[in-house]
Amino acid sequence: MRAVWQLWLQLWKRMPVLVVLAILMWLGGLIFIVMNPYHYRGSVFVGVALSAFASWFWHIGQGQALRGLCRPESFLLPDFQRRLAWLGAISVLQWVILPSLLAALFAPTHGILIAAALLFVAAMGLATGCGRRVGLLIWVVFIAAGWMPQLAGQIVKVALISPWTAPLLILATVLLLRMTLLPLLHIDDREVEPSPLENANLGRTATVDGTPQPRGAIGKRIAGLFDYVAQHAMELALRRYRERPTAPHKLMLVRRLLLPHDNPQAIALRLLLVAGMVAIYFFVIMHRQHFNAAVVGAYAILLTMTRFPQLGRGMLRMRPNLADLYLTLAPRTHAEYQKMLVDALLILVPISVLTALAYTLLGSVLVHAAEPGRMLLTAAIVASSASLVALAVHLIGPEGSFGRAAINLVVLLGSMAMYWGGYWLIGAIGYAIGGITLAVVTISFGGGVWYAAQREYQRRTPCFDAPLV
Amino acid sequence: MSMSADLPITLVDPVSLPGTHAGPVLRVEALRKSFGKREVLQSLDWSVPAGRVIGLLGRNGAGKTTLLRCLLGLSPIDSGRVELLGEPMLEPGGERMHRIGFVPQTFDLFPWMRVRAYLDFTAAFYARWDHALVTRLLDSWQLDPKQKIGQLSQGQRQKLAIVRAIAPQPDLLVLDEPVASLDPQARRAFMAELLDLMRRPGKTVIFSTHITADLERAGADIALLRDGRIQFTRPLAELRERFLRAVLNRAEGWSSTPSIAGLLKASTSGADLQLLLEDPDANDLQALAASLGASLRIETPSLEDLFVELA
Repeated sequence: MRAVWQLWLQLWKRMPVLVVLAILMWLGGLIFIVMNPYHYRGSVFVGVALSAFASWFWHIGQGQALRGLCRPESFLLPDFQRRLAWLGAISVLQWVILPSLLAALFAPTHGILIAAALLFVAAMGLATGCGRRVGLLIWVVFIAAGWMPQLAGQIVKVALISPWTAPLLILATVLLLRMTLLPLLHIDDREVEPSPLENANLGRTATVDGTPQPRGAIGKRIAGLFDYVAQHAMELALRRYRERPTAPHKLMLVRRLLLPHDNPQAIALRLLLVAGMVAIYFFVIMHRQHFNAAVVGAYAILLTMTRFPQLGRGMLRMRPNLADLYLTLAPRTHAEYQKMLVDALLILVPISVLTALAYTLLGSVLVHAAEPGRMLLTAAIVASSASLVALAVHLIGPEGSFGRAAINLVVLLGSMAMYWGGYWLIGAIGYAIGGITLAVVTISFGGGVWYAAQREYQRRTPCFDAPLV
Repeated sequence: MSMSADLPITLVDPVSLPGTHAGPVLRVEALRKSFGKREVLQSLDWSVPAGRVIGLLGRNGAGKTTLLRCLLGLSPIDSGRVELLGEPMLEPGGERMHRIGFVPQTFDLFPWMRVRAYLDFTAAFYARWDHALVTRLLDSWQLDPKQKIGQLSQGQRQKLAIVRAIAPQPDLLVLDEPVASLDPQARRAFMAELLDLMRRPGKTVIFSTHITADLERAGADIALLRDGRIQFTRPLAELRERFLRAVLNRAEGWSSTPSIAGLLKASTSGADLQLLLEDPDANDLQALAASLGASLRIETPSLEDLFVELA
């Protein structure tokens, strides 16, 4: 049992905050069931719901921990799979059987249904944590429920009394576990590591600990297409540089190296893919209600800004490789090299503005926005300033994951708030005055932050050390 | 200038070599492995007897790492059969895993774990675990148990991987370029530990390396991987006996290579003609030298020389 204990400890060691929160929630849920403070059967269900939420939370963490552990070399550990099975049995005991038994004591009518539901929730959390897209199905359920809430309510009522619900949930759990665990326990050749600065929207960047994201056949084809386009863009840049070895062509080469998927064709491809996904999403929920255009625009800004946190992480992981670039470029001074990087990365600002405009345009068309011009103008101004700020903070910001997460949150929320404020301002005082005011305030702020940050970056000595874990 | 001759080397079944055990720890039949369109292992056959140190040699990209990973079930094979410790290796599993140790080429596992936590974690899985050896090696190899693996240098990670692999006192130790990142002191210390391990009965070591001096120190049998196949597995002493370098010297130099039985490779350097020969007849060589009006010098090539010529 020592090995099982060690396996169980891994989650505690890797995600102590998540574990403490989940355990507290779980204990709270159990206490709620046992104490039954209002002597009302509904409070038992509240306790069960709390336990279920804790279980979902815990199993997302467990899935992530398992992804880190289940490397091919780990399977050389004697009885590794059998011990994993024991860990699973302990999880079932803790997160399913114990709350179900307690709930059955106080609300005997739904004991089996509660157990099946808790099992399903745990499996769903595990699937999400393991990075399986099937974990996203939960959102389909929520979307469908939001689309037709009355029908969803009726289904729930019927499901609660149907004898088929529990077996169906167990069957779904088995399928979910099969889809999650089989790829995890299957030994395969390691995929080639993608560039750390590759665009995150492809969904194939490694996680924080370097574990590659699992990809299906479609994902592999799309990634292959992006790689092909990146290779083509690099060859084109090389050819141009050989023909005319000028500074702009050299800068273009550096950009193609650092940002392999930020060439025009790849951007167009990415927009197409995102547009497809967003269109499906809107098609599904468009009958639900009327949308607030400001919300849609802010969402477009949020989607655009997700590029920058990945850039910050990627630049850290890229550092050892940048030594080679430094030697290749052979700059006269450190500052010259740093400036070259800054200039190369600055292309992300117009790319982000273009992306924000495209997403906003798509959103405004799909929700039949009354003032698409107002949305687009706000998006253009806010995306310009926000991407300048985001780029600046990721150039000189903190290296620690906590500091970066905090900064990302501030930048994302700040950008969305700026969009809302800007949208309101333009609506209140008109396109011309509102637009100019918004542009003066936000772009001067963004430009100021960017100017100071790039000066600071150029002043710093280049660092080529691999980031410490 | 260099002239090549086809290698007239025949596959030798190591089981039939004198002094080897009857029951091989590893038997590979018709193993094929491709990455995309590139076939790395082409119907590879190999057998490794128990109680031997096998040095797997091959040029960069020859497929050494792929072969070792396929043997352990860490890389799926396209076809063929791998039998490890008497059982088919369909996937890593079963009681035999207690008897296998592995040092990967690069140790990039579990960077978030501390050295002590990683070793405790691993030890929990094994029936045998030499705690005294671990403590001694951590101390003498200056590995800080409190340090995170992600903060160790490549050489330190390699040391940790070696400690982890030999602590369960495995019967079969598979090492993929274990000393590539080690400093000379650590390399010697590692070789000492390896030789100590090999003194115990029934222990088998397979390791790939480019440092042929280590194989010579360990008195390893040499297996050469080339063109996706194991070309031969032979004891080092036998290799030394069978392969010779004949140097013919004459003032006017050499415009062509003379024909002689057992010729593997020929190259010229000024007035010298160097011939690498397998199982040469000394009398034939003398006669050849006399007929060509050249002086003859016979040399025993080092393992590195042989590797350069044969691989």
